[in-house]
Amino acid sequence: MTALTPTLTVALSARTILIGWLLLPFLAAFLAAVLPPLARWLALLCCLATGAMAAAIQLGGLPPGFDLLGAYGVALQPDAFAAPFLLLNALVCGAVVLDSWRRPLPGPFLLLLMVLHGGLSSAFVVVDLISLYVTLEVVGISAFLLMLISRSERSMWVALRYLLIGNSVMTLFLIGAALVYLEQGSFRFEDVARTSSIAALALLLVGLLTKSGLFLSGLWLPLTHAEAPAEVSALLSGVVVSAGIAPLLRLSNTLPALGEVITIIGLASTALGLLFALADTDAKRLLAWSTLSQMGLVALAPVVGGLYALAHGLAKAALFLVARRFPSRALHGWGSRPLPAGVWWPLWIGSLSIVGVPPLAGYAAKSSLDGALHGPLALAVTLLSVGTAAVYGRLWSAPLSRDPQLAIDPGTDPSWSPGVVVLLLALVVLGVVALPWGPALASATAKAALVLLGGWGLHRLLEWLRLRERWRLPELERLSDLLGGIGVVGAGLLVILNR
Amino acid sequence: MDPFRLLELLILAAVLAGFVGLLLRRNLFLKVLAMDVMGSAVVALFVLVAARSGLRSPILTASGTGVGFTAWADPVPQAVILTAIVIGLSIQALLLVVITRLSRIDPTLDLSSFDTGGRR
Repeated sequence: MTALTPTLTVALSARTILIGWLLLPFLAAFLAAVLPPLARWLALLCCLATGAMAAAIQLGGLPPGFDLLGAYGVALQPDAFAAPFLLLNALVCGAVVLDSWRRPLPGPFLLLLMVLHGGLSSAFVVVDLISLYVTLEVVGISAFLLMLISRSERSMWVALRYLLIGNSVMTLFLIGAALVYLEQGSFRFEDVARTSSIAALALLLVGLLTKSGLFLSGLWLPLTHAEAPAEVSALLSGVVVSAGIAPLLRLSNTLPALGEVITIIGLASTALGLLFALADTDAKRLLAWSTLSQMGLVALAPVVGGLYALAHGLAKAALFLVARRFPSRALHGWGSRPLPAGVWWPLWIGSLSIVGVPPLAGYAAKSSLDGALHGPLALAVTLLSVGTAAVYGRLWSAPLSRDPQLAIDPGTDPSWSPGVVVLLLALVVLGVVALPWGPALASATAKAALVLLGGWGLHRLLEWLRLRERWRLPELERLSDLLGGIGVVGAGLLVILNR
Repeated sequence: MDPFRLLELLILAAVLAGFVGLLLRRNLFLKVLAMDVMGSAVVALFVLVAARSGLRSPILTASGTGVGFTAWADPVPQAVILTAIVIGLSIQALLLVVITRLSRIDPTLDLSSFDTGGRR
C-alpha cells in the first residue's frame, strides 16, 4: 500500500499537468481577448508549454496513455509518436508569433493562433475517433478564420472552399466512426484496427487523407496555402496538414493492412505534387505543391513519419514566412530579381533541408526514411528527391542583394525575422544531432551531392523545355474537381481494400 | 426486410443525395444546404445506431421504475452526435456569413463568378 501511494500521486499529477497543458491555449485565448496587450506573451507561453511537453514526452517523463471520463471518454496517448508533431507545433507557432512581434496584427490573429495551437496539440495526442473529429473541426474552423484575416474577396472564396470541403469530408469521417461503433462498440483506434467493415475504413481514410492534403483528395491544398497571408500559409503548410497525417500514421501503424494502400497513395501524391510544382509559374504555389508532394513522403513510413513531418514543417514554415518579402511571386524572371540576405539565406537553407542535404534536419529525416524503406521503394524515394531538387532549383537562381533593407519597412520589420532565425536554428540543430560520423558521413554527402547535381540537370533541361513551349497541365482545382477527387479516392479505397 | 437495414439504406440515400447536390448545384447557397443534408443524415445514422438496442432513454428515476427493463437506447452515440450537431451548426453559420459577403460580388451566387480554379 505504501509503495503504491507515490506511484498513484505521480500518475495523478501527470494527468493534471496534461489536462492543464491541453486547456492552456484556450484559456490563454480567452484572457487575450480581455487583455489584448498580453496576447503576444500568452501565445509565446503556450508554444513554450507545448515545447516543454514534447521534451518531457521524449524523455519518458509521462505515462503513455490516459483515459479521461472512463472507457467511452477521451483517450489520450502522449507517446513518442506524438513528440515530433508537438515540437513542430511549438516551433512553427512560436516562429509565427516572433515573426510578427513588431508588426501590428489584425484584430483576432493571435487569439485564433492560440485556439489553432490548442486544437493541433490535442489532435496529435488523441486516440479515439470522436475526440479526433472534434479537434480536427476546431483546427479547421480556426484555420478558416485565420484565412479571412486579410478580408479580400479572393480570400473569402478560398476560405469558404476550405471549410466546405473540410466539413464535407469530416461528415464522411463521422459515418465511418458510426460504422466502427456499430461493429465494435467503441471509438478507440485499437478497435478501429479490429473492424472488418471495409466501408468504415474507407470513409475514415477519405477524411484523414483529405485533411492531410494527399493525392487527388488533397487538391484543395495548393490554392488555399498559396492565397492565404504569409503567416497563415506558414501555419497551414508547416503544421496544420500534420493534424490529418498524424492520426493517419497512428492508424496505419496499428493496422498494417492499410500500409500498402497508404504507400501507393503517398508515392502518387509525391509524383503529382512534383509534376505540378515543376510546371507552375508562381513561387507561393510552387511551395504549396511541394507541400502536397512532401506529405506523400511523410505517409510512406508510419514510424519515421513524425520526424519527416517535423523536418519538412520547419523548413516549409520558414520558406512561407520569407515569401512575404519576395519582390514578386512570378517565377518568370526570378533570376533577375536580387533577394536581400534575410530572404536569400532562409530560402537556400530551407530548400536544401527539404531536398535532404546534410547537416540539416531534412537529411536526418530522409536517411531515417531510407532506413525504414527497402528495395524499390527506397530507390523511388531517391529519384523523387532529384525531382524535389529540380523544383527548388527554380528558386535558387535569384542572386544575393547587397542592400539589406530591400522590400521591407525598416520601422516594423527587422532585416532578419527572428521567427525565421528560430526555424533555421532548429533545422541545423536537429540535423547536426542526427549526423553520422566517419565513413557514413562521406557517403551521405556524396549521395546528397549526386541528388543535387541530378536535380540541377533536370531543372536546366526543364527550363529549356519551358522556354520552347509553355507547359499545359490539366486544370484540377475547381470545386467540382476537388469533390470529384474525393469521390474517386473514396471509391478507389473501397476497391483496393476489398481485394 | 429488417427495419434497421431499411432505415440504414434510407440514410445512405440521404448522404448520397447530399453529396450529389454538393457536386452538381451551381449556387453556393444550395451547395451549403446540400452539405447540411449530409450532416442531417449522419445525425439520423447516429440516432439509429443508438436505437438498435432499444428506444427507452437510459435514465433511472428515483422511484426505481425502469429497474429490470433492458431495452435501453445506447447513450454514447447520442452524446457524441450532440457535439457534432453543435459543430455542424457553427460551421453552417460561418459559411452563411461568408456567403452573405460574397453575395455583394455576385448576388446570384453562381459558382462560376468565384471558382476560377488555380488561376488568380
